[in-house]
Amino acid sequence: MEILMSVWQFFQDNILTRPQFFIGFIVFIGYLLLRRPVYDAIAGFIKAVVGYMILNVAAGGLVGNFRPVLAGLKDRFNLSAAVIDPYFGQTAAQAAIEHIGRSFSMMMIVLLIAFFINILLVLFRRYTKVRTLFITGHVMVQQSSTALWMVIFCFPQLQNLGVVCMLGVLLGTYWAVASNLTVEPCQKLTDGGGFAIGHQQMAGIWITSKIAKKLGNKENSLDNLKLPGFLSIFNENVVATGILMFIFFGIIISILGPDLMHHIDKGFSPKQNFLFYILEKSLNFAVYLTILQLGVRMFVSELTNSFQGISNKILPGSMPAVDCAATYGFGHPNAVTFGFLFGAFGQFLAIIGLILFHSPILIISGFVPLFFDNATFAVFANRLGGIRAAAIIPFFSGIIQVLGGGFAAYYFATGQFGGWHGNFDWDSLCPIIGVIMHNIQYIGVFIVVILLLLIPQIIYYKNKDTYFLIAEDYDKYKEVIAKKQGKSVDDVIIE
Amino acid sequence: MLKVIAACGSGMGSSQLIKMKLEKVFKKLNIESSIYHTNVGDAKSQAQNYDVVVCSESLVSVFANVGKNVKVIGLKNLLSEKEITEKVEAALK
Repeated sequence: MEILMSVWQFFQDNILTRPQFFIGFIVFIGYLLLRRPVYDAIAGFIKAVVGYMILNVAAGGLVGNFRPVLAGLKDRFNLSAAVIDPYFGQTAAQAAIEHIGRSFSMMMIVLLIAFFINILLVLFRRYTKVRTLFITGHVMVQQSSTALWMVIFCFPQLQNLGVVCMLGVLLGTYWAVASNLTVEPCQKLTDGGGFAIGHQQMAGIWITSKIAKKLGNKENSLDNLKLPGFLSIFNENVVATGILMFIFFGIIISILGPDLMHHIDKGFSPKQNFLFYILEKSLNFAVYLTILQLGVRMFVSELTNSFQGISNKILPGSMPAVDCAATYGFGHPNAVTFGFLFGAFGQFLAIIGLILFHSPILIISGFVPLFFDNATFAVFANRLGGIRAAAIIPFFSGIIQVLGGGFAAYYFATGQFGGWHGNFDWDSLCPIIGVIMHNIQYIGVFIVVILLLLIPQIIYYKNKDTYFLIAEDYDKYKEVIAKKQGKSVDDVIIE
Repeated sequence: MLKVIAACGSGMGSSQLIKMKLEKVFKKLNIESSIYHTNVGDAKSQAQNYDVVVCSESLVSVFANVGKNVKVIGLKNLLSEKEITEKVEAALK
C-alpha cells in the first residue's frame, strides 16, 4: 500500500500537475494506440512538451507585459481591463486557475472527455440527431481552458474528477449541438461543401442565416464594391494585432501618464522616450501572441491530425466541423474585410459606451474575435442579404462582443488577469450558461445539457425528410428540394 | 521533393486542414513532398524558398509579388480533395 501511495504521489507531483508532461504522455500513448512507430511517438511527445512549454513562456510574457497597465488602471481609476481574444482568454483562465492552486492539466482531460462525448453523440445520431464532429484543435484547447475556469469558479468545492466529468459532458454537448446548427447554412453557402463550422461563433452563424435575408437584398451584394487598398494590411495577424494594441494601449498608457508608469513599471527606464515606451509595450503583445500561437500550433497539430483521422472513420453521414476561415473561399474577399470593419465600428462604439457609463471593466479589442467572427458573419450575410446585411450583422456582433465579453470578464473575474475569451458564442451563449450554472448549480448544468440536446431534435422534426440527406448526399438533397418546388435540379432555389 | 507552404489567416486551423488534404492528394498522385503550414504573413516572406503556396482563394492576392517560380494555388473548398487534385495537377503540368 505504501509503495502504491508513493507511486501515485510521484505521478501526481511530476506528471499530473505538470501539464506539459501530462499532455506529452497523452500524445505518446495516443500514437502507440494508433499503432504508429515508437520514433513517431517520441517525436510527438517532444513536440507536445516543447509546444506547451513555449505556450507557458508566452502566457507568462503576456501577463507580465499587461501587469503594470492593469495596476495603473486599478490605481488611477479603480478599473480592471480585459482584452477580448481567445488567446488572452486562455491565458487569463490559466492564470486564474493556477492562482487558486488548481492544476491546469485538467484542461487536457476535459478536452478529451468532451471530444469523446461528441463522438458518442454522432455515433448515436439516429437518436441524438447530431451530425457534426468538432475537430478544430486549437479552438478546443482555448474553450476547454475558459470553460474549466468557469466551472471551477461556479463550483469551488468540486473535486478534480467531478470537474472534468461534468465539464466534459457539458462542453462536448455544446460542441456537438452548436456545430450541428451550422450544417444547413454551410451547405447552402458552399453548395454542398461537406463541412460544418466548429469554431467560436456557431450560434452567431445560425442567427445570421435566419435574419440576413430580412435585413437586405442579396442582389445588392458587396462584390462590386471597391475597398481602399490599405485595408489589406489587416490580413496579416502580427500587423493587425500590433496596430490594435498600439491604438488601445497608446491611449490607455498616455492617460495614465509617464510619471505613474515610471512608478509602476520598473522596465520603463528614465532615459526612454514615452512614445517609444508605448510602442515597445504595445508591440510586445504581438510578440507574445506570436510565440503563444507557435506553441499552440506545435502541440495542437498532432491533436488535430488524429481527430481528422477519427472523423474520417465515422463518416459517411457525419461531417467534420472545422475552422470558420474555411468559408472565406466561398465569399468575396471584400466580405471578409467588410465584416472586420463593421465589427470594429460596433466594438469601438460599445467601448466608448462602457467608458461613458462608468463600467467597472474596460474592454480592449482583440484581433481574433474582431476579425474571424465578423468576417464569417459577413460572408454568410452578404450571400443571403447583400451589403446591408453584411454591414448590420457584424456591427451588432461587435457591440455584443464588447458588452457580453465585458460582463463575462467582470462576472467570472478574469478581468483581474487581463483577458476574456471574446468570440461571439463566448460573449453571448456561454456566459448565459455560466450564470445559470453559478446560480442554480448542478440543476442548472442538467437543465442546460437537456436544453442543448433538444435543439437538434427540434430542427429534425421540422425537416424530417431532408435532415440527414443534406449531410449525406447533397446532390440527392437538391433533387428532393427540386421535386418539392416543381423545378429542375439546375433551377432549384436553396433557401 | 516538392516544397509546399499551406497558409491561412492565423496559421492555425485552415492551413492545417489544407496540409492534411494535400498530404492525401500528393500520396495519391505519387508526389514526394514536404508541407509546412503557417500564417499568411510568414508564408509571404518565406514563399521564395518554396515551390508551391496553397491557400484560400480569398488570400491569393497577398502572394501577388512572390515571383514566377513559385506557384500559388487558391482554393475555394479547402476540404475538397477533388478540387485540390485538379488544381495541383494543373499547376504542376
